[in-house]
Amino acid sequence: MTPEVPLTITVNGREVSAAAGAHLSLLRWLRDVAGVTDPKYGCGEGICGACTVLLDGQPVSACLVLAAQADGAAVTTASGLLGADGSLGPLQRAFHEKHAAQCGFCTPGMLMAATAMLADRRLRSRREIRNELHGNLCRCTGYGPIVDAVEMAQEEAGR
Amino acid sequence: MFTRPFQFERAESLAGACELLRAHGEGAKVIAGGQSLLPLVNLGLAQPDVIIDISRVAGGRDIRADDGYLTIGALMTHARLAADPLAASGQPLLGVAAAKIGNPRVRNRGTLGGSLAHSDPAAELPLVMVALGATYEITDGRGSREVKAGEFHLGFLTTQLAEDELVVAARVPTLGPGWGWSFQEVSRREGDFALASAAVLVRIAGGVIVESRVAVGGVSDRPVRLADVEIVLSGAAAGQIGDRVGPIRGISPISDTGASASYRAHLCRVLVTRALAEASSRSGEAA
Repeated sequence: MTPEVPLTITVNGREVSAAAGAHLSLLRWLRDVAGVTDPKYGCGEGICGACTVLLDGQPVSACLVLAAQADGAAVTTASGLLGADGSLGPLQRAFHEKHAAQCGFCTPGMLMAATAMLADRRLRSRREIRNELHGNLCRCTGYGPIVDAVEMAQEEAGR
Repeated sequence: MFTRPFQFERAESLAGACELLRAHGEGAKVIAGGQSLLPLVNLGLAQPDVIIDISRVAGGRDIRADDGYLTIGALMTHARLAADPLAASGQPLLGVAAAKIGNPRVRNRGTLGGSLAHSDPAAELPLVMVALGATYEITDGRGSREVKAGEFHLGFLTTQLAEDELVVAARVPTLGPGWGWSFQEVSRREGDFALASAAVLVRIAGGVIVESRVAVGGVSDRPVRLADVEIVLSGAAAGQIGDRVGPIRGISPISDTGASASYRAHLCRVLVTRALAEASSRSGEAA
């Protein structure tokens, strides 16, 4: 028997209440229970960053948080960056324009790591952007366009 | 990802968590930030029956200065320790080491108590604690005891904690006048565990080292204080540090996919020398 716990988590502004196995990670709860599949399972060790989401505004590895620990919290995933009409948000548009996705598996995590980074609205050098994204791996090694996109987004936000 | 099911218990207090640990026995594990436990669970290397969550326990996440010491609550995250002004002014080694842990996600969740209790031999905070001669406050919920960092870490992922005990806080001396400090590590990629690391404090008077504390990580089954090196450094001017630090004794580095044992031993000596030079230059009176 799998012990279940009742959970209510606000996902991209939508309150989701669903009991789930106590052993589920936040990532698995999001994907399998809440049906939010943009965070990806990469390594399960908090190294790759493909499952990066914002938990009450802070970037975390959704694979390294138990869903039960996130009860009552607010989670933002990459699809939460879309505009109300479903159009791409500014950072997503920059990723699109700069071709910052090859296979796309790392993209939802990159978007959330970059969102957290840009929250303080401080203009960063390319080197700083690279440094701060060191915890998100792109195995296509398409890092150049990703840095281009973040740079473009921060410049647009600064205008 | 398809972890073996377990039961989830939320503790309302540290004493309550200790009670739950006693009730559930050896199949129970405590979680705070989960950055050490959950990788093991996800990979099937740990298969707990019960996970006891202490992340919502009130208090225990602040830092307090009194009488030449800083006391840091075990639930303090690495990100907050790295950004804490009291830590930065009182004992800069803490924040600098905390900022080198993993990546921003690890630092947002991971806690001081978790890192100390997990006791990875290459981890940053246990090393700094051993270098500083820290004291840990430990509780079983009925009483508390104090243990020196150098005696707490027994070996690879092994500590003095009994099954129903938790780390409550760590107490470290603040940086005294004339002291300089340095933290050095080398890892294959930023955020990886260190192949070797060194935490060093020196006090300089009259142009020479009169007192030092030297500890190294990643080169043994626990952080190691290098008493031999500290002794030979006494009376050394900055220019003599390299000659005084010989091959490092009292370590037992391993060979793995990251590096050979001999490379780790070499790195250890290089990092100790580099850290001593930097610490000397930072002391109130440069050698």
